[in-house]
Amino acid sequence: MGFISLEQADRLFWLGRYTERVYSTIRLYFTSADIMIDEATDSYPKFCSDLDIPNVYSDKDDFLKRYPFDKTNPDSIISNLIRAYDNAIELRETIGSEPLSYIQLSIYDMNKVNTKMTSAFHELQNVIDHILAFWGIVDDMIDSEQIRNIIKAGKRIERIDLYARLGLPAKRISREINRMIPRVEKSGLKYNAEKLENLKSLVTAPEIDYYKIVSEAETIF
Amino acid sequence: MTARYFGSALERDTVLQKLHFNYCMDIAYSGAADICYYTIKCIPETNARQKLVSYEITIEPEHTLSIGKDSFGALQAYGRVPVRHNRFRYMIDGVMEMTGALYEEAENADKTPIFSYPYGLNRSGEELEKYFNSLKDELEAAGREAKAPAYEKSMILMHRLHQDFAYEKGQTGVTTTAEEAWKLGKGVCQDYAHIYTALCHLAGIPCRYTAGFLVGEGASHAWVEILSKGKWIGLDPTNDVIVIDKHIKLGHGRDASDCHINRGTMRGYIGEQTQDIRVLVEEI
Amino acid sequence: MPGYDMLLDQTDAVNELLARYGVKFGIYKNGTFNEQLFPFDPIPRIIEAGEFDYLERGLKQRVVALNMFLKDIYSKKQIVKDKVIPEDFIFASSGYMAECEDVTPVKDIYSHISGIDLVKGKDDHWYILEDNLRVPSGASYPMIARNLCRRCSPETFRDTRLQDNRDYAKLLRRTMDNVNVGGESVVLTPGRYNSAYFEHSYLAEQTGSILVSGHELFVDDDKLYYRTADGGKTRVGVVYRRISDDFMDPMNFNPESLIGIPHIYDVIRKGNLALMNAIGNGVADDKGIYYFVPKMIKYYLGEEPVLSNAPTYLPFYEEDMKYTLDKFDNLVLKDVAEAGGYGVVFGNKMTKEQKASFIELLKKEPRRFIAQEVIDFQDLDIIEGNERVARKADLRAFVLMADEPLVWKSGLTRFSRNPDSFIVNSSQGGGFKDTWVLSH
Repeated sequence: MGFISLEQADRLFWLGRYTERVYSTIRLYFTSADIMIDEATDSYPKFCSDLDIPNVYSDKDDFLKRYPFDKTNPDSIISNLIRAYDNAIELRETIGSEPLSYIQLSIYDMNKVNTKMTSAFHELQNVIDHILAFWGIVDDMIDSEQIRNIIKAGKRIERIDLYARLGLPAKRISREINRMIPRVEKSGLKYNAEKLENLKSLVTAPEIDYYKIVSEAETIF
Repeated sequence: MTARYFGSALERDTVLQKLHFNYCMDIAYSGAADICYYTIKCIPETNARQKLVSYEITIEPEHTLSIGKDSFGALQAYGRVPVRHNRFRYMIDGVMEMTGALYEEAENADKTPIFSYPYGLNRSGEELEKYFNSLKDELEAAGREAKAPAYEKSMILMHRLHQDFAYEKGQTGVTTTAEEAWKLGKGVCQDYAHIYTALCHLAGIPCRYTAGFLVGEGASHAWVEILSKGKWIGLDPTNDVIVIDKHIKLGHGRDASDCHINRGTMRGYIGEQTQDIRVLVEEI
Repeated sequence: MPGYDMLLDQTDAVNELLARYGVKFGIYKNGTFNEQLFPFDPIPRIIEAGEFDYLERGLKQRVVALNMFLKDIYSKKQIVKDKVIPEDFIFASSGYMAECEDVTPVKDIYSHISGIDLVKGKDDHWYILEDNLRVPSGASYPMIARNLCRRCSPETFRDTRLQDNRDYAKLLRRTMDNVNVGGESVVLTPGRYNSAYFEHSYLAEQTGSILVSGHELFVDDDKLYYRTADGGKTRVGVVYRRISDDFMDPMNFNPESLIGIPHIYDVIRKGNLALMNAIGNGVADDKGIYYFVPKMIKYYLGEEPVLSNAPTYLPFYEEDMKYTLDKFDNLVLKDVAEAGGYGVVFGNKMTKEQKASFIELLKKEPRRFIAQEVIDFQDLDIIEGNERVARKADLRAFVLMADEPLVWKSGLTRFSRNPDSFIVNSSQGGGFKDTWVLSH
C-alpha cells in the first residue's frame, strides 16, 4: 500500500467522527431516557437544544422512538450510523474486511428495530458493543499508524465538539484535547497548529468559551 | 454556398503551392472553470499531398501540453488546465507546402475495412437508400467499362449529391446523422460528407471522413477520401471538386466524431459560455 | 463423492457470516438502489481432478487464442485476410473499436481476466456457452464463501482434499504485477452503487491495491496519478478497471462519462500505463465471434480445440439460415449485441405471430443472430426450504493471463432459482455455489 489518497484520508476522518457521534449519543440517550422515567417536566427539548438539533418531536415517547431510529430524520442516531457506514463501505481495502464488518453489524442491529417499538435498548447496546469492537480491532489489526491516527483524530475532534456543546466541565474537555493533539500531529495531514494552541488555552481560561472551542476544533484540518 | 473559384483543378499542372494557415479558438465563461481537459486536433499531417513546414501553438492559460497521435494517425495536442480560469484560448499558426499530388497511397491496406462499414453518424436509413437506388443504373453503367470503377462511381455520386442537396447553415447540428440531414435536404459540409460517405458505402466503396481547412473559408471544412485502386482520393461534395492543393487536411476518421478539432470537458460553475472560432487560410 | 453433509448443517452460520462481511450485490428496482445478499447455496459443485485438468487445458488454449486474435485484429488482421472470419463479423460489430488500432497493450496482453462460461450436458460433456473478456465478475464470491465455509465446518474440509481457491487474489496480484509499468496498483470502480461493488472492494483489499473512483485519478505529463493526503501525487502503474470501455475516458470515448478519467487512453497509447482488461475486447466475446473461436484455435495455435462450443449456426451463412428455419422450434436464438441473459429467445416458446415477425427480422439482419441447439444441461441440486431440488446451473471459469496463463482452480457456479428458467445471471435473481476442484 502506498501513500493514502486524499479521498481515503477524508473518509477515514469522517468514519472516526461518525462512529464517535453514534457511540456518544447512544450513551447520552441512555442517560436521558433514564431521567425521563421520573421527570415531571419534559427534558427532551433541552436535549435537542444542547446537541444543537431541531426539536421535531411531538412528545417524550415520540422522541424516545424517533431520535434513535428514524431514518428520515437527518439528526437521528441511525442517520449518523448510516453516514459512518457510507464512509466505511468505501474503505474496505484501507481498513480491512474485519473492521468493516463491525460497522455492517451495527447497521443490521439498528435495522432490526421496528420504529413502533418503544424500547430497543438491547439493539442500541449491541451497536455500542460493535463500535467498541471496531475501535479495538482498528488498534489491533491496522498496521498503518497514519490510518489509525486519522480515524482517531476524527473520533477525538468529534468528542471535543460534543462535550463543548453539552457544556461539560473544562477538566473533561481538557482531557480530550490532550488525547486529540498527538493524533492530529501524527495524521500526516495538513493541519492548523495554531488552532491546537488556541484550544489548549481556551480550556484553561477562567470563563470557558464553549462556542469558540467548537469552532476551533472544527477547523483544525 | 462556398465560391468555386479554383476551376477544374484536374487540368492544372502540379505546382508547389505554399499556404499560410491560422486557427484560433476562444472560449469565455461568465463564471469560471476550476479545471478543464482538452484535446485539439488542428495540427495538419504530412502526407503525399501536403507537408507541414512549420507551426506554432500558443495556449492560454499557459501550461504544459502533450503531443500525441489519435487512432487514425492525426496529430493531437492535449492537456489539462488545473487552474481556475474564465477564458480558454489557443491559436495555431503555420505554413504548409502543397505538393499538388492527387492522392495519398494507401500504405496500410490493413486499415481499409475500418472505412468500409456504416458507423456512427454516417449510417444510412430508408430514405437515403431509396435515393441511392435511384442512382443505381447510372452507377452500374459507369462502372462497367471504367478502368477505375470506384473512382468513376464516386465522381457520379459527388455530382449528384452536390446537385440534390442544398447548402444551408443552421439547419443541422454536430450530431445530425446522414439520414437525418438527407431528410432535411439541406446542411453544411459535415452533412455533405456524412451523406456522401453513406452513399459510397452503399456503392461498396471504402471511404473516410476528412477534416481540414480550405483556402478562403472562415471555418473548418470537411470532405471525404475514397479508396480507388490503392489510392485515397479526396473529393469535396460540398464544392463538387477534387481535393488537390487548396485543402489542408488535419485528419480522417469514420465520421465527424472521430475528427473533432476541439474536444473538452470542464468542471466548475461555467455559467454562460461563448465560443469564437476563426480560421484563416491564404496562399503565400 | 466427498461429503458435505456437515457443511449443510452449518448453512445458517455461513449465511450469517456472508451477511456480516457484506457479501452483497446492488440492484436497481423502480429507480431505487437496494443491496441484496447474493443467495448462496451450500451444496458445492464438485469437479474431479482429472476432469478439471481437461478443462484447464482447454481453457488455457482458448484464452491464449483469444488474446492472439485481439492482437491480430487491432494490428495486421491476418485472420480476416486469410478469410477464416468474414470481415463483417469484425468491422460491423459494435464490439470492434477503431480507437484501439495499433495501441499495443503492455506485453501484448488484452484479456488479463477472462470469465469463460461453461455448462455440463447430460452427456457428461462440457460445452462453452460464452466468453467474457471485458469486465467479467464473480470470482470474489466463491473465494470468500470458501473461507467462511471452512470456518463454520472445518470437519468437512479436513476429510476432503480440495484445491484451495482462496489464492485467487494472489493470482490476480501476479497478473497485475506482470504488466505494471512502475507505480501503484489500483482497482477502479464506478462507485459503491455498482452492482458488484462488494467484489471491487474485496479484490482491492485482498490484492493490496487501492480502490479508487475515476475522479480520484488524473493525468499529468502523460502519466496517471492519484492525489495523496499530504498534498502530493503518486503514480499509478496498473489499473484493474471495473468500468466498461465506453465510460473510461470522456476525451476519447463517450464524452458524457462522469466516472472516467480524461486522457487516460492517451496515457495507455504512450505505453505509460497498463489497463486490465484492455479496451476493445468486445470484438472477441461477441456472440457472433463465439462461432469462430474453435477456428481461431486451429488458425493461431495449429491445435484441435480441447473444449467444444455448443452447436451453433450462423444465419449469415445460407446453409445455416436454412437449418435455422427448418429446425426453428428446437433452437435457441441469441441477439449478438445483448448480454446478461437478455436477447435470448427459445424457438418453441414463441407464439405464431412472434415467430413470424422474428423470422422476418432474422432474414433482414442475419448478422445479428446466432442459433444454438438447446443443450440438455445437467441440473445441480440446491436447497430450497428443507428440500433438495434440481436447478439449471453453469460454471464461470476464470483464466488469468500473467507471465503465463493461469486457470483458477475453482469457479463461480451460478444457478437459476426459478425451476423453469435457464437464465442464471445474478441480475435476474440467480444464486451461487462454491466450486470444489478435488486435489487428486
